Amino acid sequence: MSLPEHIYKMFESVVGTENISDRQHVLAAYRHTSPQGGRRPASPEAVILPGSTEEVQAIVRICNRFNIKYTAITSLFGMGGLANQPGMVILSLRRMNRILEINEEDGYVVIEPAVRHVQLKPELMKKGLSYPVPSVGPSCSVMANFLGKGEHHIQHSYSKNNRYLLGYEWVTPTGEVLRVGSLSSDAGWFCPDGPGPSLGGLIQKGNGVFTKAAIALDAWKGPAIMPTEGHSPSYKIRLPQDCHKVFIFKFPTLDKVRDAMIEMGKAEIGVGVLKFFYATAAVMFTVSANDFWELWNSGLFQRELPQAVWVYLATWTPEEMEYEERVMWDIVREMGGEEIDESIRKKWEDNMDFFIIVSFLQRVLKLGGGWAPIIHTESLHHTFEIAKTIPEFFNEFIEKGLILNAPYNYQIIPIEYGHGAHIELLFFYDRTSPEGQKIPMEVMKKSMENDIKHGHYSATPMAGQQYSNFHVWATKIKETFEPEEV
Amino acid sequence: MDTLKDYIYTMESCNHCGQCRFILGPKMRGWEYAEICPIYLRYKYDAYSGQGLINIAQELLEGTLDYEDGLIEHIYSCTTCGACDINCKSVRDMEVLDTILALRAKCVEDGQGPMPEHREYARLVENSHNIYGRAHDHRFDWLPEDIAISERAEVVYFVGCTTSYLYPDIARNTVKILNAGGMDFKVMHAEEYCCGAPLWRTGQREAARKLAEHNLEAFRKQGIKTLITSCSECYGTFKGFYPRIAELDFEVLHITEVIQSMLKEGKLKPSKNLNMKVTYHDPCLLGRLSELYVPWNGEIKAYGYHDPPKQWRRGTNGVYEAPREILRAIPGIELVEMTRNEENSFCCGGGGGVPAAFPDFALWTAIERLNEARSTGAEAIISSCPFCQSSFEKAIDSNQSTIHYHDLTELVARVL
Repeated sequence: MSLPEHIYKMFESVVGTENISDRQHVLAAYRHTSPQGGRRPASPEAVILPGSTEEVQAIVRICNRFNIKYTAITSLFGMGGLANQPGMVILSLRRMNRILEINEEDGYVVIEPAVRHVQLKPELMKKGLSYPVPSVGPSCSVMANFLGKGEHHIQHSYSKNNRYLLGYEWVTPTGEVLRVGSLSSDAGWFCPDGPGPSLGGLIQKGNGVFTKAAIALDAWKGPAIMPTEGHSPSYKIRLPQDCHKVFIFKFPTLDKVRDAMIEMGKAEIGVGVLKFFYATAAVMFTVSANDFWELWNSGLFQRELPQAVWVYLATWTPEEMEYEERVMWDIVREMGGEEIDESIRKKWEDNMDFFIIVSFLQRVLKLGGGWAPIIHTESLHHTFEIAKTIPEFFNEFIEKGLILNAPYNYQIIPIEYGHGAHIELLFFYDRTSPEGQKIPMEVMKKSMENDIKHGHYSATPMAGQQYSNFHVWATKIKETFEPEEV
Repeated sequence: MDTLKDYIYTMESCNHCGQCRFILGPKMRGWEYAEICPIYLRYKYDAYSGQGLINIAQELLEGTLDYEDGLIEHIYSCTTCGACDINCKSVRDMEVLDTILALRAKCVEDGQGPMPEHREYARLVENSHNIYGRAHDHRFDWLPEDIAISERAEVVYFVGCTTSYLYPDIARNTVKILNAGGMDFKVMHAEEYCCGAPLWRTGQREAARKLAEHNLEAFRKQGIKTLITSCSECYGTFKGFYPRIAELDFEVLHITEVIQSMLKEGKLKPSKNLNMKVTYHDPCLLGRLSELYVPWNGEIKAYGYHDPPKQWRRGTNGVYEAPREILRAIPGIELVEMTRNEENSFCCGGGGGVPAAFPDFALWTAIERLNEARSTGAEAIISSCPFCQSSFEKAIDSNQSTIHYHDLTELVARVL
């Protein structure tokens, strides 16, 4: 099937000849089988590159008129957002990549969808401003990560990304332009909720196309330019040591890990406090798969990191650093913590971009890799109860040799000084094995079953009935906004 | 030699992370000049990128994509600058550029490629041993009579076609510097044939192999232990292509590395002041693509383990510091850096056969790079490659740019 010529011409009249293609060799980039999960997207019928909100609106209206399903993309990471059935068109927002405004006085930035972290972050650093970059890698879309509630390593102090989303402009599924938040009353971009109800809850379902958004900004405590030394892939990025320090402590029990996090939250010290994945750490801090195996087989990370807390202190002054360091040490000693092997801590000290832009995040994919559900919980206590049960179902897969022997490979990040928490599992499997493509779904299913068994309901359709059948309501909302189901 | 099938692991591993299109996180400087892939920047579609080309390679190999109209032009629009490759390899065990080069070789084997202009390269090389169709016996017309050549030397200056015929000043300055530094060297005279770069990088590997075999035999006969070149394309070809034909039994040096050593040893002493604010453009095949290729014939086991371990070319040990050290050693030179530098250098548009087949795109790419150079406040852009010189001079002419271009050897020769 291909697009009828008259419809193709209509799209072409909106964006111009250069910005639409239905050539198979151009579409090849949008139907590649994802190495994680093995799903091959359907081939789209065309890819269209709109350059403005008006063009997006016109395309969406044509799609509605002719009942053509569409999807919008920016950075393609993980092949997310691609065609899930034949007959679709892809809107690649790649031309909409401008930073429209950096408002230093009110502390926000207005961007188009295809602005990448690697473009925005340094522009802001030059002005002493910042925002938390989710764990996606520097080439991903900033806006997508904020709309998608991206998770990051410094949520302990900086909160979750959706808290940073201010006004935004949205081309609805029927082609209306809706301006949300303070923008709706021509008051500017500064607030996510204008007069009337918030529409923030609707954006999760991926309806329509978001064309502009404002992101709130924080002050940046580091230098204007990344102090990078060396060449790829062996960079060293050390922020000034008088105001930026990284520590990693191991504790005798998971409960002590939790209590240390809680106390650091109460004391409001640290920009980043987290329990990071120990196997993922070994993957991220080695360049090749062979390097990983050498490190992993040494057993160092398995010995030192399953019950560890990472602390990133960043302060305005050395005096402030001295204070936070003393408080941190008091807490660590009280909880029976001790410093881990110095060679591990040094890796983070040499790569502080881990807390800034996670330059080497994509290394997690080099072994095959996979993610399991991210769960948000109400408290650190609750999160650690979930954590304790993870090895129960991980071990089933480990014993069969289906995933890497890393039963404690999860991360826990307190949110807003411990008022909430994030837990995420990551498992590594060999995607080339006969069972490889089935493993991710199997692990995720077991993970959800495990959560339900222990009363830890994650936000999934499997648990929807536990929450007033929210998934049914979500579907109804989608149908209301999207009557033509395009 | 490697074939497209050798890169199935790469094709299947791509997760579309975008790293092949953007400057690396540690090198980020701002919104401008954050994109590092010329075809992605110009043509915008994701298919025009390292990711897109390996997706195309996979579909062609699997037989799910035909050689439809426009496909060959698409594949040959890439300058093979390798920015995608090095950025990808900062995080993954993938061979993006080798996949693209093997894809071109497949196009040639299937009788679909290369572009007509590239076929002409092969015809000219067959007849005259250079891609310009110039008389082979005029290859060394540039050689000044007052230059001391030692026919018994184990060091050879390999000049290359583009330098010999189009930019002989580079050759004259190079031999002047070698003499000034007291280096015993010789030239190959009639035995020097094209290094093969234009054929290798357009997928005409059998024709390139013949050239390599000729040159390697000539080096062997003449007892060459060290080869010096002033051309980055030749340099990258000796280190990246020749080891696919035979193990190198000689050292390959670029003139910038030689000058760096001579300066360190006090054999060269820059004595004149140039008073110039300059920026340096890293040629792709002297910078990120200049590491020695080591053939690997192993097995990729579970979890990506390469058995035996593979020696990767990740761009870590490119020739980045030598040209900069030289510039800093010249009195009066102020060196300023472009955003996209060293392993993240933006291509001049002169590689991969693009200037011959797509001159407008080559020019567009060079102008993009010149604009970046101008944004530094530099009055001149310096590089170390005749292909870069060709690209930039065309761009300067077309753009009526006030910025100047100089080969690094010219500046060194001027201050001796």
